Amino acid sequence: MLRIKGGKVYDPVHGLDGVCRDVCVADGRIVEDVPGGRVIDATGMVVLPGGVDIHTHIAGAAINFAREMIPEDHRRAVALARTPARRAGIGGVAPSTFATGYMYASMGWTTIFEAAVPVLTAKHTHEELRDTPIVDKGCYLLIGNNEIVMDLLEAEDYERVRHVVAWLVWAAKAYGLKAVNPGGVAAWKWGQNVQGLFEPVPGYQRVTPARIITALAQIAEDLGLPHPLHLHCNQLGLPGNFATTLETMKLLEGRRAHLAHLQFHAYGGDDWSTFRSEAPRIAEYLNDHPNLTADAGAVLFGDTVTVTADGPWQYLLYQLTGHKWGNMDIENETGCGIVPYVYRERSLVNAVQWAVGLELLLLVQDPWRIFLTTDHPNGGAFWRYPEIIRLLMDADYRRERLKALPSKVLKRIVLPDIDREYTLSEIVVITSAGPARALGLSQKGHLGAGADADIVIYDEDPDPGRMFARPRYVIKAGEVVVEDGEIRKTVLGREFVVRPAYDEGIETFLRPLFEHYYTVSFANYPVELERIHSAEVRPCGAGPRS
Amino acid sequence: MGGKPACTLGEVKNRADLIIYWGGNPAECHPRHFTKYTLTPKGKFTPNGRKDRTMVLVDIRETPSARAADIFLQIRPGRDFEVLTALRAIIKDQPVDPERVAQTGLTLDQLRDLAERMKRARFGVIFFGMGLTMTRGKYMNSSAVLTLAAELNAFTKFIAMPMRGHGNVTGADTVLRWTTGYPFGVCFNRGYPRYNPGEFSTIDLLVRGDVDAVLVVGADPAATMPQPAIEHLKRVPTIVLDPKVSTTMRIARVGILTAATGISAGGTVYRMDEVPIPLRPALRSPYPTDEEVLRRIRQALAGRTGGETSSVGADS
Repeated sequence: MLRIKGGKVYDPVHGLDGVCRDVCVADGRIVEDVPGGRVIDATGMVVLPGGVDIHTHIAGAAINFAREMIPEDHRRAVALARTPARRAGIGGVAPSTFATGYMYASMGWTTIFEAAVPVLTAKHTHEELRDTPIVDKGCYLLIGNNEIVMDLLEAEDYERVRHVVAWLVWAAKAYGLKAVNPGGVAAWKWGQNVQGLFEPVPGYQRVTPARIITALAQIAEDLGLPHPLHLHCNQLGLPGNFATTLETMKLLEGRRAHLAHLQFHAYGGDDWSTFRSEAPRIAEYLNDHPNLTADAGAVLFGDTVTVTADGPWQYLLYQLTGHKWGNMDIENETGCGIVPYVYRERSLVNAVQWAVGLELLLLVQDPWRIFLTTDHPNGGAFWRYPEIIRLLMDADYRRERLKALPSKVLKRIVLPDIDREYTLSEIVVITSAGPARALGLSQKGHLGAGADADIVIYDEDPDPGRMFARPRYVIKAGEVVVEDGEIRKTVLGREFVVRPAYDEGIETFLRPLFEHYYTVSFANYPVELERIHSAEVRPCGAGPRS
Repeated sequence: MGGKPACTLGEVKNRADLIIYWGGNPAECHPRHFTKYTLTPKGKFTPNGRKDRTMVLVDIRETPSARAADIFLQIRPGRDFEVLTALRAIIKDQPVDPERVAQTGLTLDQLRDLAERMKRARFGVIFFGMGLTMTRGKYMNSSAVLTLAAELNAFTKFIAMPMRGHGNVTGADTVLRWTTGYPFGVCFNRGYPRYNPGEFSTIDLLVRGDVDAVLVVGADPAATMPQPAIEHLKRVPTIVLDPKVSTTMRIARVGILTAATGISAGGTVYRMDEVPIPLRPALRSPYPTDEEVLRRIRQALAGRTGGETSSVGADS
């Protein structure tokens, strides 16, 4: 039992905006009152629900490939020495799994979602998630380039494709559906990409990116998944791609969807020399369409490594940068590319990208529909979120930072004209309450009775960057895991999975196809539920629809 | 710079029409490779199996694998780097000196023919073995073959993969990467992982005599390592866990027989393309599993020091 006494509580779900009140915890959950137990005196401190990261790359074959590619970053990274409370690890832009759990927790984030999992290597992902301590987690299944799904779409067998998708979600022990450059990654298997949303994917007559997107968004709804289709749009990173993003958003009218790392999809210009922000057009559309949510995928200057299933984009990035290139195509399902990258303040393109991430966060009016991410590690490492929070809360600081950018960039962005400053409550929405709602996790993102007792306590500080970087206490499921910024106790988090309904007979259809196309036996393909530490199977069809 | 253009083996099965083995002998060392993944299987876009594929073998001697190949290119020992570099030049239409090519044991025409086949392939793959990675040049050879494959992607789809073996070496490398950031040669003596091949890799540590105890799990270093390393294994307390009495177990202070993983112990193996495969034991063993022995050693150590030692992991 635990009582957090006298702190200023920010809980936007319950309309609490810095109200002094006690927060009580028993059996890992928030309760109205407790008769005794430990008391934390939070006088002069702020009390918030733990952070929820809706899109990050922290576990599985892709990020582990990135770790392999960048020993030079590990060497200069913060090393986590072993202590009685935690294991050793390496920080940096692609931290080791244990370090990932400790670093998220010691920043106040207690729930995180790995955004890209192939079924074929999902066992690996879950092994890494199990080795990512403290935080609760889940993962999204890569489905937008699955060839069995695309072959069924070609045959217009929508009924069967729904059962196949449901079967695959459960086989991967995933939480949601993710599509990355739909059709484009499949084309990359022949060294190609897709052009536009309405041209057929190479090798198909009827399957276009548009058809994949609408079919999957519909299937996510039909299956009643708690989180809608999680979409990485086509044409990521390219000048002028905002037009594709707008077309995609129009396709999704009437259905729910989540647009991942929107910053990478909001560019104007005809080529790299005319590259500019189109964040206002994208934000305007999003403002008018409550069926959509998005996460920022904001960029911060400095070193990082890019990790994405978008194989053709990564090949282009390798050609543009001349840096190292890793590629891993996964049979019949998806791809993966790795390219180390440095965002430079003096680069016109990078400066526009930095501005676009902030512009989207500031121009989307409803904080319940845009969430703080960097698409870790693509736009910057997750442990740099506090830097973004400061940029959002302090317009003067933003203006200061703009001075360091090339003057030519100012005509290509709108950031200098934006005066909005986030309130602390709005920060809680974009980092916790909003993503929890978009994920259909009713016990996360708030401090009402019955919620998971994931609580962060900060010393109030006029510099929000400093405040968010070092919580005074972090409480996970009722246990005090961080005190004074140090890990004091390691607990193991849960994993959220869903089991959408499907016709068991679908295996009779899948097995022969599988044996023809794959190189592992069908029995070895699904992830056994027993492999998952502390799995919580979340209900389908009953999630909140906001 | 190069990199690592790779794929899972099913991509090779379904798509590859040009298969190159370089410095390896799959017919004897990976006997199911041809039939499960690369040559004979009929894949989604290779409906005629072997007829849809061309196989090239590059090696310093004519091994039994040459019988399976359409083209066998015999090169002189230690000339792999030169051949790879010449190929990189040829695919970029750079001039190549025929006399220097001749020193490799091949002719310029043979290399031009290979380069042309590589560029014309629909989906090409190079599997490279220890004949490339463990001979003169070592990592420079690996770098050259990976760079060649990366550069070929300017013309077509091209992949390069190492032919790994020795049980679950890929699994060890995968797990070490997610726990420490590094694939091998990791030192914990400062309480956090450090990586420096040549300094912290096993042979170097043993040859320098830097370690004062050795725990060997599922490996047989005394059968393959250089003599000075073996001498040090004999000098210090060496403990070996193995399903059979190995060469190393014979020279060790303590040998513990364990259940054979995949036969009488379960677990996960990572295939050479890093696809995880669950193992389900078919037989029962009178011996404990490696995991159980290690767990019991750890518990015993915790009892001896009177504290909770390693809830968080081993240190050396």
